Amino acid sequence: MITINELQKIFGEKIAVDINSYTINPGEMIGLVGNNGAGKTTLFRLILDLLKADKGNVTIKDIDVSKNEEWKTFTGAFIDDGFLIDYLTPEEYFYFVGKMNGMKKEAVDERLATFERFMNGEVMGQKKYIRNFSAGNKQKIGIVSAMLHQPELLILDEPFNFLDPSSQSIIKQLLKKYNEETHATILISSHNLSHTVDICPRIALLEHGVIIKDIKNENNSAEKELEEYFNVTVE
Amino acid sequence: MLFNELRKHHRLAAKRHPMYEKNRFGKFFMYFMSVFWAGYLIFFGTTFAFTFAEGIPNMEPYHVLNSGLIFVLALDFLSRFSFQKTPTQEVKPYLLLPIKKSRIQDFLLIRSGVDPFNFLWLFMFVPFAIITVTKYYGVMGVITYSLGIYLLMVLNNYWYLFCRTLINEKLYWIGLPLVVYALIGVAAFLPKESIVDNLTMDLGEGYIEGNVLFFAGTLAAIAAAWFINKWLLSKLAYSELNKVEDTKVKHVSDYSFLEKYGEIGEYLRLELKMLFRNKRCKTSLRMIAIIVVFFSLMLSFSGAYDGTFMKSFVSIYAFVAFGMVILTQIMSFEGNYIDGLMTRKESIFNLLKAKYYFYSLGVIIPNILMIPAMIMGKISVLDALSFSFVAIGPIYFILFQLAVYNNKTVPLNEGVTGRQASGTGFQTIVSFTSFGLPMLLNFGLKSAFGETAGAFILLGIGLGFTLTAHIWIKNVYVRFMKRRYKNMEGFRDTK
Repeated sequence: MITINELQKIFGEKIAVDINSYTINPGEMIGLVGNNGAGKTTLFRLILDLLKADKGNVTIKDIDVSKNEEWKTFTGAFIDDGFLIDYLTPEEYFYFVGKMNGMKKEAVDERLATFERFMNGEVMGQKKYIRNFSAGNKQKIGIVSAMLHQPELLILDEPFNFLDPSSQSIIKQLLKKYNEETHATILISSHNLSHTVDICPRIALLEHGVIIKDIKNENNSAEKELEEYFNVTVE
Repeated sequence: MLFNELRKHHRLAAKRHPMYEKNRFGKFFMYFMSVFWAGYLIFFGTTFAFTFAEGIPNMEPYHVLNSGLIFVLALDFLSRFSFQKTPTQEVKPYLLLPIKKSRIQDFLLIRSGVDPFNFLWLFMFVPFAIITVTKYYGVMGVITYSLGIYLLMVLNNYWYLFCRTLINEKLYWIGLPLVVYALIGVAAFLPKESIVDNLTMDLGEGYIEGNVLFFAGTLAAIAAAWFINKWLLSKLAYSELNKVEDTKVKHVSDYSFLEKYGEIGEYLRLELKMLFRNKRCKTSLRMIAIIVVFFSLMLSFSGAYDGTFMKSFVSIYAFVAFGMVILTQIMSFEGNYIDGLMTRKESIFNLLKAKYYFYSLGVIIPNILMIPAMIMGKISVLDALSFSFVAIGPIYFILFQLAVYNNKTVPLNEGVTGRQASGTGFQTIVSFTSFGLPMLLNFGLKSAFGETAGAFILLGIGLGFTLTAHIWIKNVYVRFMKRRYKNMEGFRDTK
């Protein structure tokens, strides 16, 4: 699904991303972990063609993302509130995103119903513009809008941020179910090791822009390795 | 010490602004304009000195200029709107530090008082005084006169600061300077012996003579203006910080009639919502509306704009104002959510098309507003038609080029505690061109080919650009996509 070839991004003297070769297969669910400044968001921006690579390229389904826009039709993403048009109400935003992806209003409504529990009655029908929602609810709006058109490739940066514990649990289940049912490729980044280990069968550990470990995670087997790396084991 | 520290922060904020290094053109343009204005004022100062001496021999030239001081002050007040930065309250980051709030406010007021803009008029008054004042009062007269004028400008600065802070809070405060200047106008023009002229003449003479009382009076007025501003700043800072907005929207306008136009219709709806739901856009729209309505009324029902130059100035302005004000910021508002737009296929192309249709339809408004002027015979239907097509043709062609180069996010909503967001030098030039070009074309063509033929040629040029709009919009889109990384970086850095 995604192929990274000799990808390099440099900011000043700092190498933000330096990945020689990395492949994400269709239907895989991958967690990207790393400390602050490891290059997770930069990598996502490069995959989504929101940043220019200094070297190398990214292809999605063999389409070079910087040369052709076709990949955008089957990709959903949410990185931060720079994705949200904050003077719209959530409903308006969902219908806007739906329309851009060729969905009818009824189809959007039907799809939104699957997120009812996640939105917990705090998003829809509030008669509020997105800018007036809490950070957690903005996060929910961003995640729902990325998943709205059932994309083949879903990219979410820190999806658990700002969410209350029950919403974190629900989104975990939703992502897992979505991956199982649609065989969509899902790429998430997170600082929450336990959530990442819970849902991602493959985990990439990023350090100074380099993927230093590509961990196979079966039955939470990656947990110990990650805890050791991040030095979070309680003696 | 605190003053120096805050001044350092202010300088660093400007110097370390992400756009500082990138906007070399803007910096050059700023310096160029400063030199230009200084030269212009020196020219006026010397010209006035000789013209007044020859034209009004029974009065000293400085008496003539002093009797019109109020107009200089009014002009200074007006020009501050475009040249002086909006007073912003950078209090927020310091509120949790053990610094007295009043000291921060003092700093902001001192900074405003010593703003180099307050010296600008001295480029006119000093050469004027050297020529006219020295013969009776010597060099000392020039010094005291210049000092007095400078103090008056500082006073005017605080008057502007007061009005601008209030206007930023609620637009209806624009009524305050309007009422004040209207009253001054009445006092200046209605009585046979103008009260205002005599007052300012005496004031100017007091400065020239170095009369301590006049200086003390001016300083007292500055002190009073200082305290009023300080009171206002503290009041607004707290109301802004403590404001609990009622975030529920009473009525959500949907513009659903545009739904049937597919993706373009969706972007048209987005444009409408952007303009009517965000403070900054709403303020710009209201300002344009007030100016255009005022101009069209004046043109229709008074003889004030009956001269050839003023007539074409006012009518062309009415047609291009809407696009000129909003489209110079094209894509800058979208900078707030550019990542979302860029991850959707060809969304920018459809957005640009929608914008073109929307602002082209917007030209209907000045056409309606100009109907009385057409009925009164001040402007012909052909002129209105040609100005409309020139606006949506070559002018929008020029303004849309900014979509390729604008890469600074403009905040959609900001109050008095918000950060500064001024335009770039390139935007200013394009803005002037978009207004100057139709003026030149109109004047040139009508002089060369006569009124009717000139208007038809103008219409032809407008139609040419309008009918090829789909081609040049595609070109703008392709160039935007080529520059996308640079632009996205700029938008992100300035968010």
